[in-house]
Formats: sequence, C-alpha cells, structure tokens
Amino acid sequence: MGLFRPAVRSADPVQASRIRVNSRPKARLPALPTALSALMATFLLLPTLVLLLRGLTPQFWPALQNTAVQDALRVSLVTTGVTLLLTVLFITPVAYLLARYRFPGRTLLDTLLDLPIVLPPVVAGLGLLLTFGRGGLLGPGLELAGVSLAFSPAAVVMAQLFTSAPFYLRTAKAGFLAVNKGAEEAARTDGADGRAVFRHITLPLAFPFLLEGLVLTWARALGEFGATVLFAGSLQGRTRTITLSIYSALESDLAPALVLSAVMVLLSFAVLLVVRMLAAAREPSA
Amino acid sequence: MFKKLALTALLLAVSGAAAANLTVFAAASLTDAFTELGRAFDAQTGNKTAFSFAGSQVLRTQLENGAKADVYASANDAQYAPLVTRGLVAAGQPFARNKLTLIAPKNNPALKTLNDLTRPGLKLVIADRAVPVGDYTRRMLAAIDKAGTYGKDFSARTLKNVVSEETNVRQVALKVQLGEADAAVVYATDVTPALKPLVRVVPLPSRFNQNASYEVGAMKGSASPEAAQAFVAYAQSATGQQILRKWGFSGPQ
Repeated sequence: MGLFRPAVRSADPVQASRIRVNSRPKARLPALPTALSALMATFLLLPTLVLLLRGLTPQFWPALQNTAVQDALRVSLVTTGVTLLLTVLFITPVAYLLARYRFPGRTLLDTLLDLPIVLPPVVAGLGLLLTFGRGGLLGPGLELAGVSLAFSPAAVVMAQLFTSAPFYLRTAKAGFLAVNKGAEEAARTDGADGRAVFRHITLPLAFPFLLEGLVLTWARALGEFGATVLFAGSLQGRTRTITLSIYSALESDLAPALVLSAVMVLLSFAVLLVVRMLAAAREPSA
Repeated sequence: MFKKLALTALLLAVSGAAAANLTVFAAASLTDAFTELGRAFDAQTGNKTAFSFAGSQVLRTQLENGAKADVYASANDAQYAPLVTRGLVAAGQPFARNKLTLIAPKNNPALKTLNDLTRPGLKLVIADRAVPVGDYTRRMLAAIDKAGTYGKDFSARTLKNVVSEETNVRQVALKVQLGEADAAVVYATDVTPALKPLVRVVPLPSRFNQNASYEVGAMKGSASPEAAQAFVAYAQSATGQQILRKWGFSGPQ
C-alpha cells in the first residue's frame, strides 16, 4: 500500500529524509533497527528475486511464444487499455470537480469514491455480479436492451475500472489541488475563457500527477484477479488475463505461469521506476 | 493459562497418538460429503480434522511444491498417480464414484435437451481441462461424437459455446446458480440440497456418461501417519460410505 499514497504527500518524506541525512552525515546505523530492516527487506525482496530466477531462464523466449501466454498478454493489454481510456474520460472530471468545487455531499462522495481501494477485490466482483449480472439488479434491464455482459471482455474492463480507477482519482485530485491558482488567474485576466484556462494552464500543470495516477491505475488493473474471476469468468483469448492465466497454468504446466510471473515482476519494476521519475520531475528543486 | 496448557499436554499424553491434527486435501466436489465425514470421524476418534478443498489439480500442484498434508483425495487418477510416482503419497484407494450431469438455471429455458448444447449463443460453463471434471466433460463429449447420434462435430460445436473454464467444479456450479450461465456440466453430487431449488437438471444419456473414480491415500510425509491411515480407512468404512452415499456418491467398483 505504501506506494499508493496520495501524490502530494509522497513528496514530503523524500524532503524530510534529505534534511535528516544532511544534518547527520555520518551517523552510524543503530544495530537493532538495521537488523530488523535487513530481515524485512529480505522477506520482501526474496520472493521477487526467486520469481525472476525461475522465470528468466533460457526457456523464457520459447515459453513466451506459447499461445496461452500470448493470449493472456493480449487480453490484458487490450482490457487495461480500454480501462485507462475510460478512466481518463470519466474520472478526470470527477477529480476536477472534487478538487475545485464545494458542493453538498462533497466530503462524503470524496470518501466513498475511495472505497474500492480498500474493498477486497472478490467482494467488488460479487457486487458487480449482483448489480450487472444476468440475475442482478440491472440484469433484466440490460438483457432487454440486448446488452450481455456476462463472460465478456467488457466484464473484465468493468472489474478493472471498478477496482483501479480510484487510484487515478486520488492522484488527479491531488494534481488539480497542486496547480498554482495564480497562473490560472493571470490567464483569465488575459481574457482566456474557462475551457482555455483548463486546456492550456491547469491540465499541463497537473499532467505529471495525472500520468502517475494512470500508471498506478494501470498497475492495479493489470494485477486484478478476484473481481475478474468472479464477474467475468476465465476463457483463454477472451477473458483470461495474465493473472487468471497464471492461476490456471499453475494447475498443469508451470512454465507459462513462471514466464507470466516474471513479466509481471518486470512490469512492476517499470511502474515503480516511472512513478519515481514522475515524482522527481514534480519536485521544484529537481 | 499455564495450568490449562499443562492439562492439555497431560490429556494429549494420555490419549497418545490417537488425538492428532489432520489436514486433508480433497477435491472440491467432496466439500459437503467430507465435511460431514470429517465431523463424524473426529467425534469417533478425537482427532481434529481440517480440510482444504480445491480442484484436484490445484491440490496436486501444492503437494508437489511441498504443501503439508496428511491425506489426499483426488477426483481422478490423473491428478493422483503422479504423486505416487514421486513417492509423496501411498497408493490410491478407490473409495467413491460419481457421474456427470447437466444443469441449467431454474427459470432459464435455453437448455432442454442435450442437443441444445450446440445451439449458437448458449452460454456454457465447464471446468478447465486440467480439472478432473473438465477432463471427464471432454471425454463425455468425445463419447457423444463417437456415437454419431448427435453429429460427428457435436463436441466442436459445444465447445464453441463455452464462455468460461473454471478451476473447480463448485465454481462451475456457481455460475449457473447465479444465473450467469445458461448451462454447465458438473458432477451429479454437486446438485446439493442447497443448489437443488435453484437449478434444473437436464438428463444425460447414461451411455455417454463418465465414471468418475475417486482415490484417497495417506501422505508419506504425514506427522501422524496412524491417524492419516485411520481417515483413509474411515472413508472406506460402512459409516464413511453411508455418508458419501447420502451426498450422492456411489461406492467404489
């Protein structure tokens, strides 16, 4: 969870640690905390290392060509792509409204929209099923309208959107809050209308935040399992994403599972790196 | 607290090896039957039996990778024999048999006869190929192909309608229970009293049906081999068989 702190706050510990390090440049590390930290770091990093060692063998490339692996990568890329598009389209306005306007129920809405972050994914899946499933609340209506979500890639996207979009919402909101109001005022004084101010001032200034939010949302969507398996089922080439594929590959042939796991580890590293770089780019001093 | 611990230790010492904590890995289809069987076994022996139910293929992978269990019960030989070869489990004792059945949501008329399985647009859920029931399902379809009565490409047309391949039979049944799927292939025993009011059973001609044979055995690495062996024997005993029959299983051949 540490990674998913609101972006505005994530800048603070960095600065704080910098100050501390500067004030005591050669302080010796205290023994007990160091030992405990080493233990914990080993615990956290060892399984990742093992996955890489087991996954990145000479068999990596041939196993990557496996149709089950290719299908899983394709399904995951397509569904998370659509999820990101929908997130930008629908969550950016929500973040903007929450950051810039005061309206009745704002605090409540702000809190409740974070709910999917803490909700167990399998509970989210059950909620989606009981709402949008054929036997669910909206099921008969959707059926009449000729919309069949059950077992479709659309259901995968919905599961991802539900569980991941709030990550973008949080960072985007922080981004809009961080934009210097003075710059917007100045543009307005110069005769720019609301839309122009948003497009040429607010959006570019908030952009690093939005990008970080998108990266986090993508990572979460890519890792989605619980809600997807319950709401969308699991069929190779259609709804079986990387994580679902890892789970079903475990049952017969470990090779695809190891390859996909290694891919996920590498992608996770990339996500961390990008988030770090974006955070650094935002720092005024950097 | 200390007194209590001492007392427990004393009781354990007195009862000797009889009171053990058993872990049983069992096929998902055995969920209800084994839960009851375990309770009866515990009441009789004083053991504490805990279960881990999942698709047999999942359990097999876990056991191959060092999971600790005392007893393993699989829904087919294919997910049992490899563990015997690796010396992880004793030879399998057949203790129950099962049949396949077609189910559909109660008020969903999409599936009335076997032939409806091939109707385009039908949402069929089956188990993954590696799951024993998924294997039996494909064998059943192959048997229908072979008979020719429903056309030689019956299984190809049916498999086209598969919208999800689940990792255990209870998940397959759940999709019909929730009304998401139009049809599913599960074991006859999965139509439990809890599920019965919610689904319709569509008869499967017995000449196509498959004979699912379950095997059980004690794990070689068990910390309580005697209790593990006792559980294996109990599943084959008259009382054990009676419980299994109550949940729809038939006895071993």
